Formats: sequence, structure tokens, C-alpha cells
Amino acid sequence: MLDPRFSSERPHVSRRGFLRLTGAGVAGGALVTMLDARKAPAQLKGTSLRILMWSHFVPAYDTWLDDFAKKWGEKTGVKVRMDHIPHLELPARYAAEFAAGAGHDLIYFVGQILTGQYYRNLVDLSDLAEGLAKKYGAWMPASKSAGQVGGAWYGVPDFFISIPVLWRKDLLESVGVNNPDTWDDLRKAARLLKPKGHPTGMQFSHCNDANHNWRSLLYCFGGKETDPSGQNLTLDSKETREALRFAKALYDEGMTPEVFSWDDASDNRYLASGVACWVHDAISAFRTTQDTNPKVFEQTYVLPEAKGPVAHLNMGEPNVWAIWKFSKNVPAAKEFIQTIADHQKEAMEASRGYNMPFLKNQYTKPMPGLGGDAKLSALQEQDKITVFFGYPGPMTPAAQEVLTTFIVPDMFTRVARGADIEETMKWGMGEIRRIYTKHKAG
Amino acid sequence: MATVAVATPYRAPRTERAKSIRRHVLIYLGLLPFLGLAVFPIFWMLVTALKQEPDLYRMDVVPFWFHLPPTWKNFDFLFHRTSYGDWIVNTMAIAFWVSAITLLTAVPAGYALARLRLPFAENLGIGIFMTYLVPGIILFLPLARVVSTLELQDSWWSLVAVYPTITIPFCTWLLMGFFKTVPFEIEEAAMVDGCGQLGALLRVVLPVSWPGLITAVIFSFTLSMQDFLYALAFVSVSDQKPVPLGVATELIRGDVYFWGSLMAGALLVGVPVAIVYNLFLDKFISGITGAAIK
Amino acid sequence: MSQIAAGGGPSPGAPATVAVGGRVRDISWWRTPTARRYLFGYTLLAPAVLYVALLVGIPFVFSLYLAVSDASVGVPVARFVGLENFKAALENSAFWTAVRNTVVFTLGAGIMKGLLGTALAFLLIQPFKGRRVVRALVVIPFTLPIAVSVLGWKWMFDSQFSVINWALSRLNLIGAYGSPEWPVWLGQPALALFSVMFVNVWRGFPFSAIVLMAGMTSIPPEIIDAGKVDGATFLQRFRKIIVPMIAPILFIGSAFDTVFTLSDLSIVYLLTNGGPDGATEILPTLAYNTGIKAGALGRGAAISLSLFPLLLPLMILLLRTLRRRQY
Repeated sequence: MLDPRFSSERPHVSRRGFLRLTGAGVAGGALVTMLDARKAPAQLKGTSLRILMWSHFVPAYDTWLDDFAKKWGEKTGVKVRMDHIPHLELPARYAAEFAAGAGHDLIYFVGQILTGQYYRNLVDLSDLAEGLAKKYGAWMPASKSAGQVGGAWYGVPDFFISIPVLWRKDLLESVGVNNPDTWDDLRKAARLLKPKGHPTGMQFSHCNDANHNWRSLLYCFGGKETDPSGQNLTLDSKETREALRFAKALYDEGMTPEVFSWDDASDNRYLASGVACWVHDAISAFRTTQDTNPKVFEQTYVLPEAKGPVAHLNMGEPNVWAIWKFSKNVPAAKEFIQTIADHQKEAMEASRGYNMPFLKNQYTKPMPGLGGDAKLSALQEQDKITVFFGYPGPMTPAAQEVLTTFIVPDMFTRVARGADIEETMKWGMGEIRRIYTKHKAG
Repeated sequence: MATVAVATPYRAPRTERAKSIRRHVLIYLGLLPFLGLAVFPIFWMLVTALKQEPDLYRMDVVPFWFHLPPTWKNFDFLFHRTSYGDWIVNTMAIAFWVSAITLLTAVPAGYALARLRLPFAENLGIGIFMTYLVPGIILFLPLARVVSTLELQDSWWSLVAVYPTITIPFCTWLLMGFFKTVPFEIEEAAMVDGCGQLGALLRVVLPVSWPGLITAVIFSFTLSMQDFLYALAFVSVSDQKPVPLGVATELIRGDVYFWGSLMAGALLVGVPVAIVYNLFLDKFISGITGAAIK
Repeated sequence: MSQIAAGGGPSPGAPATVAVGGRVRDISWWRTPTARRYLFGYTLLAPAVLYVALLVGIPFVFSLYLAVSDASVGVPVARFVGLENFKAALENSAFWTAVRNTVVFTLGAGIMKGLLGTALAFLLIQPFKGRRVVRALVVIPFTLPIAVSVLGWKWMFDSQFSVINWALSRLNLIGAYGSPEWPVWLGQPALALFSVMFVNVWRGFPFSAIVLMAGMTSIPPEIIDAGKVDGATFLQRFRKIIVPMIAPILFIGSAFDTVFTLSDLSIVYLLTNGGPDGATEILPTLAYNTGIKAGALGRGAAISLSLFPLLLPLMILLLRTLRRRQY
């Protein structure tokens, strides 16, 4: 099991029936029985459904999902095709599909949550979303930001990704930080461990993780991007300055310049190679370490999020279903969303603790994939601390543009490199204000 | 520049043999940095492709060689767990059709611009070239519309339709230059013999222009392997992807890079193309020479 | 502009044919050799011109329209906003960083490719044993699909497992891993820009060499020999004879190379995505992130077209000069 790829077969659902899959996580047979429980509308028979998906960070999950889709297709008589592309490339594909007015029937937002941009061209899924809320308890508050525009649901949240702190028990205990709980604890550990060859690292670069990690820290320090309406900027605050100052100290004391070149995968390798004392990264890094370096994995523990001086918040990454208005098979697409929502348990199990649910009842302990694992069980209350970008405002197109142009991580980068905090604040606010003005004008 | 000294016979001449050896040594010395620059990354990719995963992440031992036995696993993975076989077939088919379309359009266009003294020929030629200044990052949206109107979405044929926009302008210019080098006399002789202008083109001009044609084909071939964005936007189905897209989208899974298979996938198409390239390099060089100098 | 010229392609021929009807009886102009040549010529041109006009010309007009509208990805009907988007770009500090980096990247890489290519071409035109093998090896960088070879470089530039650093460190040229003397290729602003340029050079220099070889082989040896007889040193010969002779090919080579480099998104996108803090941001990445990822199509189009007004006259001038020289 040294090579993570071979822990699962490469998933494939393609026209040529390239399927040579073994069910991962859940036995295929059991799944069929579960699928039987739900009666699919008969008129779906003989139709076809094209789904666009990202490549999940836990490959075993894709294997499960492709298999799930296949079984669902057999059961309902719908010809399903599921295409996977990397999450970073989804927006280009959506732009092309929209321009063409044709493409996949059922689409998926992750990383870039484009509900706000495309809602005029997406099917209103309020009935479905509200039905799910009724069935599984309420949606957690942050889900509205991911799925709703103007009170209507144009996207149905599937799950979100948490980005917790993964820390090395052996290393931290060696410097007397026994149960890290706050950002200060983490800073102290990094300061003491860097001289021993075990620094920490968070990306000061143009990648997804940089956007996540620094926002989590920012929110924990009380920094807020906008007011709750998402209209008025509130980033220019003493809390934000405090967060920038802290980040600079964290960098100076506990990191090496490597972090300026990192991409989303670098901190995984940093942890798995045994160098990092802690990283702020998704469970996929935990799993990579498990598969490639069992010794380090044994000592790797999970902290849902470090507490800041003001708040305890983690910026998660939502995953959202949506259906194009030009979709040729809206009923089947809706049916698929409903079915997979009904199988959230198996999905969580298959994702090896990576997928976090959006609905209240799904937080009943023990949660699948988490509750049974001593290291991950703390994540069972992640719904309480999870917020999304733009916080406390919703993920508007303006907030989206701030995200994709990396202004927040660039502010942290500037300060870490020694730029004056006031200057940086002025620069960052200037850029952000420009973007918000543009969007208001539009 | 080391060879400079060689070319200038300063010292007393030695035997021919000694001179030749000395010349070779200096040329090789001069080439060494270039070979290192060009080949080292390729060598490194090959070693990576043959390494076992844990062997990649070791800095305590010489990384240039194997510390765990080399493995074919990465190649095996490509062919058995991805649609790599399809990707190669698609890439070759795309390159073939793009070359064909390019030749069918650029040869007559280049000839007309070079030979027929048409009014506006120069402006037209420049106009065709200027299409390169139009940025692909925006162009792919309206093209998506075209692709879907042609009902080619998610099929590699969409790329056959789109890539000629990159190859036609280049090859038109190349061939235009090339046709200018063909002496007027042979064409006129053919026309005197009863060929029409078209006949002269087909029977006399084309046969002597084949270095130019080969150059155009090689260009079409390489250019159609360099795109990423169009392929990404128009093809999302695994077994329809060309190699660059398939490798870059299916061998990086979020925060895990399958380095070995990535490198294997690149080398398996890059190296054969390099060999073919080299077979035609002399023709290629005379093709460019003809195109640009005369 | 170009599209106007290209799109107007068939029309200059059209008057000739249209005129046919009117003039048939009196002079039968259409039967003259000139008319037939024109007809034949424009028929030959039509496929290429139509192809390019339909697939680049019309989409280009559409992107011009985007650039002066407030279009975003999900809103098909956009308002005309004049030069607002260009103004927004000019007010954006990231835009100016991107312009600076684009210029440095293109010129720097162009110069490096020129120098390396010239030296290599000079070596490769010498007769020596194993020339074919050497040539085969040096062209590989050019034949690998760019998106994939860039990933190879990403691995070589890795901050932790960089094989380059491993070698340099063992040679004691840099410090050990973790020390400040351990270069982080994609993380230090100047170094990061250099690194992305370097990948472009690595990929492009074999091609420069081939083009320059073509130029050099076209110089009749007598001319060079004449120079030798006159006692010119190598550098003099190089400057006075070789450079002027290969100048046209050098120009057209660099013109093509420049437009390809200017529009090349993949190296920067895959290596740094413009980071850290915009140190490697170039116009294509900024336009892509603004226009496609963030969905602000209008502004993205404006950014990507911003160099167009500068490049267009420059290219026209270059190509015209070149063509004139050729006669």
C-alpha cells in the first residue's frame, strides 16, 4: 500500500464501458439493495444523463461514486456518463458549456462556487433542497451561501471539505506542546521545532490552499471580509492587522521560504516526508501520509481548527450540485441528486472521512467515516465552526473574484516578506474595493 | 564559442588525424552544456517514470539512480487504469487530420499569395498572420459555440476543427516563402507544355516543394500537441482526450501528483515524435531556409 | 483589423467577378489572362481565408464586443460600457505588474533563446561524428507536449525534492535543505520569474537553433571564406557577414516566437499561477483568472487584448519590411 494509486482502481465510466471496478468502501451488492429502497420514476427509463464531476482528492471516493452512478443507472434505466476533470479546470469548462448552450446535464461546483454567476441559467432546485432539509433536519447556516441566490436554491450542497490542522504528536510533545488548541500553541511549536529541522508551512502562493489557510487564520483573529449582506467591505480593521502581524511572526519563526513556492500538494508532501511539525490541510494529506509513510502517520493527529484570539472558525470548501437550464434531462438529474443525498452515509464512508455533510441530522454521532476513528472523531462538530469565503457575507461573484485573484493571500505574502502592514492594507483594500465597485455597477 | 579557436588555425599544423580529434573534442565540449540542458530533464523524467513512488521522496541518496528496483508499474498504470491507449490514438488522429486540412488550405493559399500577384495579397497575408495576436483564452468561448453547432462537443473531432486556426496562418506564411524559391521558368515550361496554372502547380511546383510541405506537416503536428486550453474546454470525456489533456487532467488528482505516470505519459509521445522530427530535420531546415531567406 | 483584412478576403475578388456581367459584351475582361489569374488566385485563397475568418475572425469580433461590455460568464446579454474595462485594467496594480512581467518574460526569454540558439546552431552546422544523434537529442524539449513537460519542471523545481538543488547542494554551491541558501525556485520573486522564463527557453532554444541553422546553411561558404581571406576575426565575420545574412530569418523566427510566448498560458499557469504575490503574473494568467475563473468576461477580454493595439502595428511593420526585403 505504499503507492496511494493502487489502493483503488482508476475509476472510469466511459462510453466504451471501461469499467473494471471493484467497489471501494461499500460492497456493491449492498448498494443495489439500498438503491432498491427508492422507487425511481418510471419515465426516466431509456433517457441518458451526463454528469460533470471533479477528481476527488481521495481517489477511492471516485471509484465508489462511479460505481454508484453505474448501479443507479442500471436500476433506473438511465444511461449515465460521469466525466471527471480537475477542480481547477471546471470554471473554464463551464464557461465553454454556457457559451455553447450545451454540455453536461448535471454539474458540480467546487473550489469556485459559481452559483452566483450562473443562477439565471440554472434550474431552481428549491423543492429538492427544502425537501432534503425536511428529511434530514435543517441545512447548516453556511449552506445558504453556497446554494441560494435571492432566497431560491439554484445549487444543492453535497458536502464540504474541511481543512483542519494536522499535527505531529511526537514532535509537538518533544517541545512541551502537548495538546495544541490555539494558533498561539501552533506558533510556539513551530518556533521551537524549526531549529530542529521541523518547521511548519502554509502556502504564501497562488493556490487554493493559500486562499483557505490564510482566511481561516484571518477569521479566527476576527477579521471579516464584508458585512453579513456581502455588500460592504469590512476587511480594513485592527483584527485583520493583528492577523497579518501574527502571520508574519509565524512565518519568521516557524517557516522556511519554501512556502512561497508551494501548491496544493506541497504541504501533503511536507507532512508525508516527516519534515513538517504541523500543516493546515484537508484530510487527503492525512490519507496520503497513511498510504506513503505509516510511521509518520501513526504520530499525526487532527485538530478541527486552532482557536484564535477572537473566534474559532474554519474556512471549508463547499461542493454543490447544479443543473443547467439547457440540460436535456432535468428529471434524471434531480433524481440523481436526491438519491445521492439519501446515500450520504455511504458517501462519507467511501471518502475516508473527507466529505463533511451539510444537513443537521447527518451530524448524529457516531458519524460514518469519522466516529469510528479516534483521530478524526473530533471533526464531528465541524458544522459549528465552518464558514465559507466572503465570511460573514455570502459567496457573491465579487467575493469570488477576490478569491480567484488571490488578493488575501497576497496581502499575507507581502507582510511576511517584510512589507509594511499599513501599506499592504491600503493596497489590498484598493484592489478589493475596485472589484466590489465593478460588481455593484454591473 | 570554443570552436572559434579551432576554426582559426593558429598553431603549426599537426597531422590531419590529430587535428580532427582536437576539433571533435572541442565541438563535443561546446555541445556538452546544450546536451545537458536539453537531455537532463528528459533523463530525469525517464528515471522518475521508472521509479517506485517511495523512491521519489528521498533526498538522502543520489536521486539520479534507483534505490528500489525500477518498475514498469507507472507504464502499466497508464495503459491499464487510464485511457492512455485511446489518448495516443486520438492524438495521432488529430495530428493527421489537422495536417491534412492545413495542407489542403495552406498550400493553395501560400501559392496564390506568393505567385499570382493578386491585388491585396500582401495585406491578406499579413491579415492571416495577425490572427495569432488574438488571445486564445477568450477565443475559446465563441469557439465553444461553433463546436457545439457542429455537434462535436466532447469528441476529438472538435479539435480537428479548431487546431487549423493555429496551423493555417503559420503554414501559409511558411509555404508562401517556399513557393517563392521555385523558379518561375519551370512553371512556365510546364504551362507551355499544355498544363494549366493548376496543372503546373500540381505537377511541377508541388513535387519540387516537398521539403516545404514536410515542414508544414511537422509544424502542424507539433503545434497540435501544444494546446491545452481548447482541449480542456471542448473535450471532457476520457476516451476522447488527446495525450496532453489526458495526462494533465487524469494523472493529477487534487493534491496528489502521479509523477511517475505523468512522466511516462509525456515521454511515450514526445520521444517518438523527436525521432521522426530528426529523420526529416534536413528537409525541415531546407524548408525553412527556402521559406524565409529567399 | 486583421480580421477586417482577412474577412474582406473574398471581396476584393468579388468586384472583378461582379463586374463581369457588366463588361462581358464589350471587352470580355473576364477572359483576359489577368482576370483568370485573379479568379484562380482567389479561389485558391478562399479555403484558408474562410477558415480563418470563420473560426478566428468572427470569434475575435465577439471578444472585441466582450471587451467593451460588462459581460460575465453567466449573463449572455451585456451592456455596452465603452472603454470601462480597459480603464479598470489600467487602474489595477496587478495589471501593471502583469504587463511588466510579460515584457520581461517575452524579451528575456527571447534574448536567451536567441543566444543559446545561435551558439548551438553554430556547433551543429559543423560536420562531426554523431551529429544526427546529437540533433535528435536536442530537439526533444521542443517535441514534448508543453503541458506535460512543464509538470516535469514543476517536479524539478519542487521546494523540497528538487533534483537541481540536490545536485547543487552536493557540489557545495548552495546550502543544505532548510538553510536560507537553499534556493526556492518558484518562491523567490526574481527567481520565480527567471524559472518560468527558463522553462520557456528550454522548450524554445532547440527550435531557435533549427531556424538559425537553416539561416546559416544558406550562407554560401565562399562569402565566409572571402571574409577569412580578408583576415577578419571570427567575431568580425560573425557580425559583418553572418548576422546580416541571417537577419531576416532571425526576425521572422522571433516574430513567431514572440506571439507564441505572449499567448502562452500553460507554463506560468501550471508552475506558479502568477504567484507569489504576482511575481510571475503575466497577462494571459491574469486574464484567465479574471475572465474565466472569476467570470468577469468583459474585464478578462480587455486584459487579454490590452497589448493588441501595440502589437498590431509592430507586427505589420515587421512583416512588411520582411516581405520587401525578400524581393
